[in-house]
Amino acid sequence: MSADEFDPAIERLFARSPALPDAALFTATVERRLQKGSRVRVFVLGVAGVVGGVVAAREMLTINFSTEGGSVPTAAMGQGLEAVSFNAQAAIQSGLDQVGLGNIAFGSMNGMQMFWIAAGALIAVAAAGVVRLSQEV
Amino acid sequence: MAQALVDRHDVELAAQAAAGGRREFGELVRRHGSAVRGLLRRMGAQPSLADDIAQDAFIQAFERCAEFRGEGTFAAWVKRIAARLYIKRAAKEARYVAEVETEETVSAPDPGGLMDLDEALKTLSEPERLCVSLCHGAGMAHPEIATALNLPLGTVKSHVKRGLDKLRARLQPAQTLGRTQHVG
Repeated sequence: MSADEFDPAIERLFARSPALPDAALFTATVERRLQKGSRVRVFVLGVAGVVGGVVAAREMLTINFSTEGGSVPTAAMGQGLEAVSFNAQAAIQSGLDQVGLGNIAFGSMNGMQMFWIAAGALIAVAAAGVVRLSQEV
Repeated sequence: MAQALVDRHDVELAAQAAAGGRREFGELVRRHGSAVRGLLRRMGAQPSLADDIAQDAFIQAFERCAEFRGEGTFAAWVKRIAARLYIKRAAKEARYVAEVETEETVSAPDPGGLMDLDEALKTLSEPERLCVSLCHGAGMAHPEIATALNLPLGTVKSHVKRGLDKLRARLQPAQTLGRTQHVG
């Protein structure tokens, strides 16, 4: 601003804020919008976390437990785990079918690759959630 | 706790808002909301449009609060965000803004506002009003205004100069009166 443009009186007039009668309403509206935005973000993060967790759990339970060549107790434990895995997998699969995610397939990747991808996504979502939570507190 | 918020400095509140503090940011909105809304009205926005843009500006400010380093005032920082949003909107909806301008010139002045300045601003042409408000209301430098409005720097300078000359002529009695009241 050049010297001839500087006018203290005009500067003062611009610096004065008009007293608006609905100032409190305006503040409340902005606060409501901030709150709403935060809720949407928390909801999206939550849903993503649940979906990612379920997919990760399903992939984890599809791991084949090898029982060949092991000792008797190991083989028994392996069979037990396999049975538990099968039951849990069936339960998760039916849950996924109900929400329309039962046929989710990720190309030609094997179970372990999918597991690590899903686990990575889950950790990222959890980290984002923790950061968000720390900001809330 | 509420008392503590009121006592805190803008920079401190902004730092807490940058860490997600919505209550602290609410206090900043309470302090500077009217100033931002007033600036947008002075730039030529209709009250409802000014309020919408001011809300968007505060939401954007909350999301970008970490960028505020306290070099200038918080109010000036939000005003610049709001001014840029208004310019963008005006460029996108040029026809709508032109209609609004016509409506506003015939509407009654806001009794709560600074009638002298606001009335005087209405006597300016739209570019003069915009340039003067951006320069003196939002604290933007001429080159910044030229970039924001996509106008040559010389044009911006002449708009500001002509606008100020008109304002001085229009506000002269009010300024004198204001000075007398301060002294008395």
